[in-house]
Amino acid sequence: MATFSFTRCLVRSYFCVKCVDHVQTRLQTTASRSSKYSKSQFTDTEVQDILTKITGLDLKKVFQPIRQQLTPPKYKLMTDTELEEAVRKAEEQAKHLLKMPPVLPERKPVNDVLSEDQMLEGMGTAKYVFTDINFNVPHRERFIVVREPSGTLRKATWNERDRIIQVYFPKEGRKITPPPIFKEENLRVVFEQDRHEDVLNQCVVQFEPDSAEFKNVMEIDVHGKYDLLRSTRFFGGLAWHLVNGRRIDGLLVDMLQSDLMQDAVRLVRLFNLVHPQSESAQHAQRQQATDLDLLKIYAQYESNRAGFIELAVQTYEQTKALSSF
Amino acid sequence: MAASLQRIGIVICRTFPVILQRNIQAQRIRDWKTSAPVLRLNFRALSSSSSSSSSADDTDSTEVLSRYSDRPWEYLESEEYIERYGSKPVWSNYRRNHKGGVPPQKTRKTCIRGDKICGNPCPICRDPNIIVHYKNVNLLQQFISPQTGIVHDPIRTGVCMKQQKLLNKAIETARDCGLLFAQLPHVDYSKEDYSNTHGAVAPTPAPFSLSSGELWYPWYGSIKPDERELARVKRIYKDYLKPDV
Repeated sequence: MATFSFTRCLVRSYFCVKCVDHVQTRLQTTASRSSKYSKSQFTDTEVQDILTKITGLDLKKVFQPIRQQLTPPKYKLMTDTELEEAVRKAEEQAKHLLKMPPVLPERKPVNDVLSEDQMLEGMGTAKYVFTDINFNVPHRERFIVVREPSGTLRKATWNERDRIIQVYFPKEGRKITPPPIFKEENLRVVFEQDRHEDVLNQCVVQFEPDSAEFKNVMEIDVHGKYDLLRSTRFFGGLAWHLVNGRRIDGLLVDMLQSDLMQDAVRLVRLFNLVHPQSESAQHAQRQQATDLDLLKIYAQYESNRAGFIELAVQTYEQTKALSSF
Repeated sequence: MAASLQRIGIVICRTFPVILQRNIQAQRIRDWKTSAPVLRLNFRALSSSSSSSSSADDTDSTEVLSRYSDRPWEYLESEEYIERYGSKPVWSNYRRNHKGGVPPQKTRKTCIRGDKICGNPCPICRDPNIIVHYKNVNLLQQFISPQTGIVHDPIRTGVCMKQQKLLNKAIETARDCGLLFAQLPHVDYSKEDYSNTHGAVAPTPAPFSLSSGELWYPWYGSIKPDERELARVKRIYKDYLKPDV
């Protein structure tokens, strides 16, 4: 009897896996059918590489002194090699700190009813929430079900799930209800004080990366103050969002003004990767253009501020020619 | 004669300190009232006010209310504030009165009970224009250490426990609204799996049901029974078998 149920479970799981595989293959085929060229995703190695390089690695900004309990400073005497080793370790730590929050598709709502018991109707006025509080279960595999006063037993929605998991397994810095900083008026005040990083940190701590509120906050326009986020973990996400919305002109101009030619070139290359059907991408592929030619092609076909970009490219070429002499 | 004098002396000795204390307190209250316009609304609400006193209050309260009760942050830019405190924090020139070198590790519970204010009130209670409000960021910053971000202990600043609680609440609300800086922990994204395919968050797959002709186990159809065993079983149960089997 036990073996029978065990084998039945195995068969069921086999069928479930088959269903999931089938669904996944179906999704992949539809995606490939929709775009003729393969569209790069956020998780591609090339895209991630470009984004990390654009973000830069300003050690002074990454390791800014944070507000915490102070200890007396430690002084160490080091040789040159030891110093280089320490700097290398610091850079690795900085890379770990600058890891970008993932850009995920929005999570689908959970609308699953497990059972409907009419005879439990009218038993009380409150909903009952049953949670699985085993410690070794990942939060995304935790069963949380709600018994409504009408008798239906349903799976909890994403909002309810987040709140209940925060009650039983509190995470540091996260509140049960989202703090009022995410309301319109407060956001405006904070952006006036140029504290975008703080808001983004709050958002990252409070919300899950695939929730709607997270996406709403992360997609807020920076309005030209790209320097604030330059060496933080949010710069990659910002660049990705701008590239997807085809609004990289402001960022390009900012980069050219601060003499970051390589970064500008990388940004244009990213744009071509993400929008392979666009004119600049097709021209670039035809001519196999590199570096400044990419910028020129982009300025010619796609950009709104073509004049400024071309002027900047020309000045850069001139200075390079002058310095080479 | 002597007895009556003695009695008069006793009466004077008993009543004099009481009168003296009442005079001192009246003087203190007069000083407190005249030093600055007084915020009396809270205290009126706390103390049990009868209907007669409330009618007197209505005429009083309009002039007795602090000028900055609506916008407490304006007081910190006014001339009287700068004259009184300069650029130092509000609690810098306050000194507690206590016996011995080590102060009690808790300040007093409250400086103002009903209408009465104690002697040597704390830095917030002694100036009625200083109102603890979550939008009054400049005032709240004076009570937070600039390097560590921790709220100062009341033993250091000298505020009474009631005001310290109000301060804590206001600082928390200000941090929630984003008016004050809040240090947050770093979130690591490398360990979690965001596929959302588990049955807890994805729709439960439909139960498996057999279509016609399909067998429960795929190997059911392929096994052939032993002929002799089959004949033996049929012979044993031949009374119970259906006629066509």
